[in-house]
Amino acid sequence: VAFCVADECCSAEDRTRVQTQWRGLWKDTQSSKIKITFGRNILLKVVEEIPEVKALFKGVNIDNPLSGEFSAHSIRILNAIDMTINLLDDAESLGEALDHLADQHQAREGVKKAHFQSFSAKFLKALPAVIDDFDNMSWKACFTGITDKIASKLQA
Amino acid sequence: LRSTIPRSSPENTERDVTMKTAVVLLLAACVAVASATECDTLTRLKIKAQWSTAYSSGSDREHFAQALWRAVFAQAPEARTLFTRVGGDDTTSPKFIAHAERVLAGLDIAINMLDQPDALKAELDHLHKQHVERHIPDKYYTVFRNALTYVLPAQLGRCYDKEAWKACYNVIADAIRG
Repeated sequence: VAFCVADECCSAEDRTRVQTQWRGLWKDTQSSKIKITFGRNILLKVVEEIPEVKALFKGVNIDNPLSGEFSAHSIRILNAIDMTINLLDDAESLGEALDHLADQHQAREGVKKAHFQSFSAKFLKALPAVIDDFDNMSWKACFTGITDKIASKLQA
Repeated sequence: LRSTIPRSSPENTERDVTMKTAVVLLLAACVAVASATECDTLTRLKIKAQWSTAYSSGSDREHFAQALWRAVFAQAPEARTLFTRVGGDDTTSPKFIAHAERVLAGLDIAINMLDQPDALKAELDHLHKQHVERHIPDKYYTVFRNALTYVLPAQLGRCYDKEAWKACYNVIADAIRG
């Protein structure tokens, strides 16, 4: 079953490419440091573009991006992404996982769909820097589908 | 093997030494630290490496998660009631698979942070807050640890270091329990 959002379809072949390219990032036992750095940089780029987002991350000490709190938060986000990518082959379980993430974000006042669009764009722009043979079309189809579902319960 | 390789040339001697070193290192990785019982720096690195193999990816990860929770519920069938909201009555349901993956993702963060004290503390505080309101009896933390001792060897074979896992699991579980 293809995972589709609007006109973008994450086909079986797209999923395989995304999963394989993503898996290549986590071969090393120090992969958590890559996850933290990568997640932190994306979040800071989103804040740079949409300054109102900064206040939403006050509770996880975004004022000190190198702190333990913000590092742990960065890796939580990256691990949620990791979880969804690894569930791409199981549409029903993926649906449940995304639904849960949508609930968690709906409960956060001030989070908007536009923030997710920014996050998704920054994320897709940063990936080719760390992934060789980055397949833009496959990633765009699968990843945009993931972030759209997570943002689906937001009002604005 | 020895009888078939001429041992006179320096190149072969060098290769021989390299191979011996490799064998010693492999043995050391599997065996030498087996007596470790504290979750010290080296043990933490070992757990991180063993976990990344066990955690795996894709459908292998789903199967690992399923096996883990089957082992939990086999020991404590009544614990299923704690998971009614996330499909605990059927561990093969999409709802429960999603839950099981979330738990492993949390455990993955904690294990990966074992060598980064500030981030580890922040993550364990976060997990503590998520668990404290659920009033989970202490014995279930032991049940979960036992479940890991059942399923990790299946993933890791003889490189699985039971004592190391016990020590580092306790560091994580004690902080989540608070």
